[in-house]
Amino acid sequence: MSFSTKVVRLIYDSALVAMFAGKRTSPAQKDRRRARFEEAPESFFRAEVLPLIMALVGVALVTAPLLMVGAKVAVALVPVTYLIPVMVAATQWGIWPATLASIASMAAADFFFFAPIYSFQVESPEAVTDLLLFLVVSLVSSNLASRLKRETDTLRRREKEMQKLYEFSRRLAACFTIDDLVSAIHDYLSRNLGPQAAFFVATPDSHFGPPESRNAPKPVLEGVASMAAVAGAPGRTIVNVATAEVWLLRAVSTETTVHGVIAINIGTGSSEAIRARTARVEAIVEEIALTLQRLDIGKAMEHARLHLQAQLLRDAFHGTLSHELCSPLAAIQGSAAVLATVPTVKKDLQARSLVEAISEEVAQLDSYIQNLLQATRVTAGGLKPRLEWTDPRDIIDAALKRTARRLAAHKVVSVLDEDLPLINIDSGLVEEACAQLLQNAAKYSPSGSLITIKVQADPAWVILSVSDQGIGITPDEQQQLGRRSFRSERHRASTPGSGLGFWIASTFVKANSGTVSVSSRGQGMGTTVSIALPASELNLSDLSALDHE
Amino acid sequence: MSKPANVVLLIDDEPKIRRFLRAGFELNGYLVLEAENAAEALKVSTFRPPDIIILDLNLPDLHGIDLLERIRSWSNVPVIILSVVAGEDEKVRLLQAGADDYVVKPFGMAELLARSEAALRRYFKTATENPVVVAGPLSVDLATRTVALNQNTVRLTRKEYRLLHILAMHVGLVVTHDQLLKEIWTGNQRDNIQYLRILVRKLRQKIEADPNHPRLLITESGVGYRLQSRIEATPA
Repeated sequence: MSFSTKVVRLIYDSALVAMFAGKRTSPAQKDRRRARFEEAPESFFRAEVLPLIMALVGVALVTAPLLMVGAKVAVALVPVTYLIPVMVAATQWGIWPATLASIASMAAADFFFFAPIYSFQVESPEAVTDLLLFLVVSLVSSNLASRLKRETDTLRRREKEMQKLYEFSRRLAACFTIDDLVSAIHDYLSRNLGPQAAFFVATPDSHFGPPESRNAPKPVLEGVASMAAVAGAPGRTIVNVATAEVWLLRAVSTETTVHGVIAINIGTGSSEAIRARTARVEAIVEEIALTLQRLDIGKAMEHARLHLQAQLLRDAFHGTLSHELCSPLAAIQGSAAVLATVPTVKKDLQARSLVEAISEEVAQLDSYIQNLLQATRVTAGGLKPRLEWTDPRDIIDAALKRTARRLAAHKVVSVLDEDLPLINIDSGLVEEACAQLLQNAAKYSPSGSLITIKVQADPAWVILSVSDQGIGITPDEQQQLGRRSFRSERHRASTPGSGLGFWIASTFVKANSGTVSVSSRGQGMGTTVSIALPASELNLSDLSALDHE
Repeated sequence: MSKPANVVLLIDDEPKIRRFLRAGFELNGYLVLEAENAAEALKVSTFRPPDIIILDLNLPDLHGIDLLERIRSWSNVPVIILSVVAGEDEKVRLLQAGADDYVVKPFGMAELLARSEAALRRYFKTATENPVVVAGPLSVDLATRTVALNQNTVRLTRKEYRLLHILAMHVGLVVTHDQLLKEIWTGNQRDNIQYLRILVRKLRQKIEADPNHPRLLITESGVGYRLQSRIEATPA
C-alpha cells in the first residue's frame, strides 16, 4: 500500500471518528428511532433513508457533468463543485446525509479525477492535500449548514407554537364566562395536543369531574382524583409506568377558586426536552390564569356597576323624596297656614277647623316622609355624624318641640339633673332619636298616661331615658326590636306605623358612639328606653369660673 | 305711624309656593314682587329694589348661594333663605355668606313672617330709634346696658350681658356659634363651644321661666342661638 493510500485511509477513518465522536446517538434516541420504525415503517423510510439516497444521487448528478468536460478543467472544478451536493444535503436533510455526501464526493473525486483515474489510490501529495482540504472544508461547512437548518427549524416550530398560543390567547380574550373558557381550553388542547391532553372540570364538591375525551391513562385519572380542588394546590407530575410517559397536571385557578385541572402528556425524552415542554404547558396555564383573573375582574366590575346603580337609585330616591314630596307639602302647609290667618276664615268656626285638620294631616304626612328620608339616609351610607359639644337639655327640649303635637294627649314630665355635663354628639341625629322614642312612647301607651323623661349624669355617661305606662314589651319582642321594619304581632293591626322608628333611633345613637337599651317589666307594664352617650370629661366649674373675669 | 308698604321679592321656581307666599305677605301688608329664576330676580330688583328678599336655594339657573353672593356684592338688603333640606353646615355657610336667616320647608307662614320682620327691623334701624329691645317679658336697653325681666332688673355678669347684647341686636334672627364665640371670647377660648354652652345655660337660669324649656333664648341646633322676638302661645 502506497503512502498516499495510507493517508487517504487515515483521513477516512479520522473523519468518521470525528463525526461520530462529536455527535453520538444516545440510547434513548436510538430507542425512539426504533420505535418510530416499528410504528410506521413508511414514514421512517421517508424521514431517514430517503435523504441518504438523495445525497448520493446529488453527488452522482455533479459527477456526471464533470466527467463530460475535459480532465484538466474537471480537476480544477472538483473541490468547489462537490461542495454543492454537500451543502444541499446539509440544508435540506441535516448532518447525516451531508456527511455521506462529503465522503461520497471525496471518493468520487479520487476515483474519477485524481490520477490514477478509476482507482481510489492517489499519487501526488498535492492531490492528497487537496482531497484532505476538501473533506475538512465540506465536513465543517456541512456541519455548520445543518446546524443552521436545525436552528431555523426550531425557530420555525417555536414561531408556530407561539402563533398557536397567540391564537389561544386571542380566543381566551373573547371569553366572557367560565364556560367559554373551558371550551376554549378543550379546543386548544384537542387541536394542538390531540389525544395527549385532557381537561378535568372542577365540581362543586371540590373534586374534578371526568374529562370529555377519555384519553387519559389510568394513573393520570387516579392522580387527578386524589387532587382536591382547593386554591393554591401545587401542580403534579405523573409518570405513566406502562409507557414511561410523563404527564403534567396543572390546576387552572384564580386566587380563590379552582376551575379545573389540565393533564398533558409531554411524552418521554431527555430532561432538557421535558423541561422545554413543561415550560410550554406552563405558558398555557399562565395564559389561562390571566384570563380567569380578567373574568374575575370583569365580574367584580359588573358587581360594582350594579352596586353603583343601586346607590344612584337610592340617591335619586332620596333627592326625589326630598324635593318632589316636600315641595308640594310645603305648598299645602303654607297655604293652610295663610288660609288660617285670612279674616273670613278666622271668623268661621267650621272653616277654621277644616283648615286646622289640613295642617295636622300635612304635619303627620311630613313626619312619615321625614322618617323615610332618615331611613334612606342610613341605608345610603350617608350617615356622617357632625359632632359638637351640646347641652343635653337642648336635645330634650328640641325633641319635645318636635313631638309636641303627638304628645298633646299625654302628661309629660321631665326630670333633669343639675349640672349635666355636655355631650359631644351630632345634635340633629340625637334629637331625632329622642323624638322617635317619645313618639313610640305616645303611640304605645293610653291617652292621658304619664311619659317621663329623665336625664342623669353617670360619671362617664349621660343617660337619657323615656318611660311610659303603655303596653310594655315581651322578652321575645325585645330580641327583635333592633331590626328594621320590625313590628310586633300584638299591635300590628291596631296601631299604624312603619316599624322604622326604633331602628332609626338606635342607628342614630350608635352613630354617636352611644347605646340604646330597652327594659320592661312585661306586657302591659310600661317600657323604659334609655340612651347612653359619652359625657365631657371637662369640669364644668372650671369653665364657669372663666365667666367672672 | 304710616309708612309705605315694604316690598318683598319672592325668588322661587315653584309657582305654588310663590302663590301662598304672595297671599301670606299681602295679607300682612307687604307689596310682593316675584321671580322664578336668578336672572329674572336680578332684573326685577334693578327696576324696583326690594326691602327684603325671600330666596329659594333650588333655582333652575343658579344655585341660591351664588345668587346670594351676587346680591351681597351690591346690596345689604335682608335675605331669608328657603330650602327643602339644609344640613347644619349648609345653614352656617349661608349665614356666613350674608343670609339674614333661613326657614326649612315645610315651614309655617308665621315663622317666615316673624323672621322677615326681624330682618327688616334690623335693616331699617336708625340711630335715633329706641335703643330698648323687647323680647316677651325681657327688655334689653342697649344704651344703658340694663336688662329687665317683667320690669325687674336682672343682674348679669359681663360675659352674660355681652351674649345677650349680641342676640338682642339681632333679635328674632339666628346668630351663629362662630360669631358669638368671636365676639365674646379671645384667644383659645374662641374655638371652644363648651364655654358658650355653659354661658348660655347660666344666662337661661337668669332670664328663662323654665331654663330646661327655654322660650326666649332658643337653640338652633348645630347653627347657633336666637333671641325670640315674639313669644308664641304656650305649646301643650
